[in-house]
Amino acid sequence: MKDSLKSIKHIEKDKLSEFIKQLRKNFTVIAPRNVKDFVLFQELKADEEPYLDFLNSRQSPKEYFFPQTENIVEYEGVTDKRVPIVTEKQMRKRIIFGMRPCDVTSLSILDRLFINEDYVDNYYKRLRDNTLIFGFGCSYPRTTCFCTSFDSGPFSTKGADVFITDSGDTFIIEGITEQGKKLIEKLPDGDEKLLKTKSEIEKKALDSITTPPNVEKIPEKLKGLFENPVWEVISERCLGCGVCTYLCPTCHCFDIQDEVIDNKGRRVKNWDSCMFPIFTLHGSGHQPREFRFQRMRQRIMHKFNYYDENFDIIACCGCGRCVTECPVNIDVREILRTISEL
Amino acid sequence: MTNPYFPEPARIVRKYELTKDVRFFQVRFIDTERALSFDYKPGQFMMFSIPGTGEAPFSISSTPSRPGLLEFCIRKTGRLTEALFRLKENDEIGIRGPYGNGFPIDAMNGFDLFIIIGGLGAAPLRSLILYSLDNREQFGRVHLLYGAKTPADMLFREEFLELIDREDVECLLTVDKDNSGKWPCYTGLVTSLFNRIEDIKPENTYACVCGPPIMYKFVLNELVKLNIPKHQILMTLERRMKCGIGKCGHCAIEDIYTCMDGPVFTYWDVLHMKELI
Repeated sequence: MKDSLKSIKHIEKDKLSEFIKQLRKNFTVIAPRNVKDFVLFQELKADEEPYLDFLNSRQSPKEYFFPQTENIVEYEGVTDKRVPIVTEKQMRKRIIFGMRPCDVTSLSILDRLFINEDYVDNYYKRLRDNTLIFGFGCSYPRTTCFCTSFDSGPFSTKGADVFITDSGDTFIIEGITEQGKKLIEKLPDGDEKLLKTKSEIEKKALDSITTPPNVEKIPEKLKGLFENPVWEVISERCLGCGVCTYLCPTCHCFDIQDEVIDNKGRRVKNWDSCMFPIFTLHGSGHQPREFRFQRMRQRIMHKFNYYDENFDIIACCGCGRCVTECPVNIDVREILRTISEL
Repeated sequence: MTNPYFPEPARIVRKYELTKDVRFFQVRFIDTERALSFDYKPGQFMMFSIPGTGEAPFSISSTPSRPGLLEFCIRKTGRLTEALFRLKENDEIGIRGPYGNGFPIDAMNGFDLFIIIGGLGAAPLRSLILYSLDNREQFGRVHLLYGAKTPADMLFREEFLELIDREDVECLLTVDKDNSGKWPCYTGLVTSLFNRIEDIKPENTYACVCGPPIMYKFVLNELVKLNIPKHQILMTLERRMKCGIGKCGHCAIEDIYTCMDGPVFTYWDVLHMKELI
């Protein structure tokens, strides 16, 4: 057998629950679940199968690495002013099963901020180190998808440990990392035919992404646009609700707050959003980002210029969530196109 | 692995009133070895932590040339500072840091210092002043201009008044308004003191400015008129901050984080980064 085929496996769809059951022995499996009207990544219950008939989840699984609310310090006895102690608990290894390639890409973007030579965010790193990623090929990209604008694509295996492709009756399963290969070694071997099937599905998916903006020159272009009136035009209808930042798999700004209930207290990291004025309000009352257009500019500049300057990667993975969920239909692809045409 | 969010236990050694709403805090790490070996640069800041209330950043007002104790002047503006004001001497708090770039002390070696303070700007700049006095041979002439609203609003008033008589530093103090009639120094804005400073050697001077945002425009104009090179005009600026370690995004200005790449910036930076002041 050719070396490249060694870790190509497949699994009949009706055998999936057995495979998941095996995984659950050693891992907590977090997978797409059909919750009310949309799909979310949640821990699977015993014998529950993941809900794989979805385009993408409402929220990205970002929260499993950078939770919306996360205790960073816990303490007791606030009254006697004892200084906080950190709880360093061992955690069970996890698998995020069925993560779309755009969302997998977002992790490699977040890694550069949370784990770098300046400071390491232990909380993020611990969750990241203890989690394996089962990527899931995107056979039917949404009309708002533009992952191909970036170093990703509907079948990009980058960042995944195992990669799954839905080929109709079966799932094609590829081991990408050593850890991933080990987890699937008992599954039946695949063959050349499966690879061919995969590339056909991939081609169809790629063809359906018709509106990816070209972002190659955007970081450079944005450099001279800080004072351009375009920001006021772009943000004219923005409500400042922050849903774009809330759903964004690469948005990573957070607040730190203390909470006390009875005698137990905790210091928590909470998601925050640059779209809110209080985000930059000084104690003195000075407000460096007074107007909504300044905050919109910050969001776009941060993603497409500043982040690239600092970490050599654009902080967008093209998942399109900000496009689908914006209440006033602001489309980041349009913004990028407007910028390229300036 | 060390946890960068983890505050270290410290004790409030002294606390007293500087002005009506500003208190002086002297703080010491409880671990003696840590207290004595703790090093920092003038212009850096620390995060204060009170369990149950939260965290906030404060400039260090003491100098690393006097190790052991850390000093801060803190104005009551929010929840954490209110809780801090309620604490008493010998109470415990958490501190973490030091954060920020601080003043480029090595580059400033051999230069004249021209320090301009407005109001609360004394908090970070007192560190530099004390540092330069303790290491007097490292610097040329030291000029200090300080403007406050009234004599009662001037931080470390007695300390600065004493500097007036010293020969190795030229200290000019001014207040906007003096109702007491007992103020021994100047009246007027801090910029009105500029013509009292003679023969500034611009190429050999580092100007260091800190004050309310409104002050910068006027002071920077004067400094530019004096021909001080833009990269030798330093300011220590303020931003809302949460983590102090370049993660949380609050203090981001363009591609820099105030907590990591600031809070000390040059006039050159200010000209190139529109949201800085």
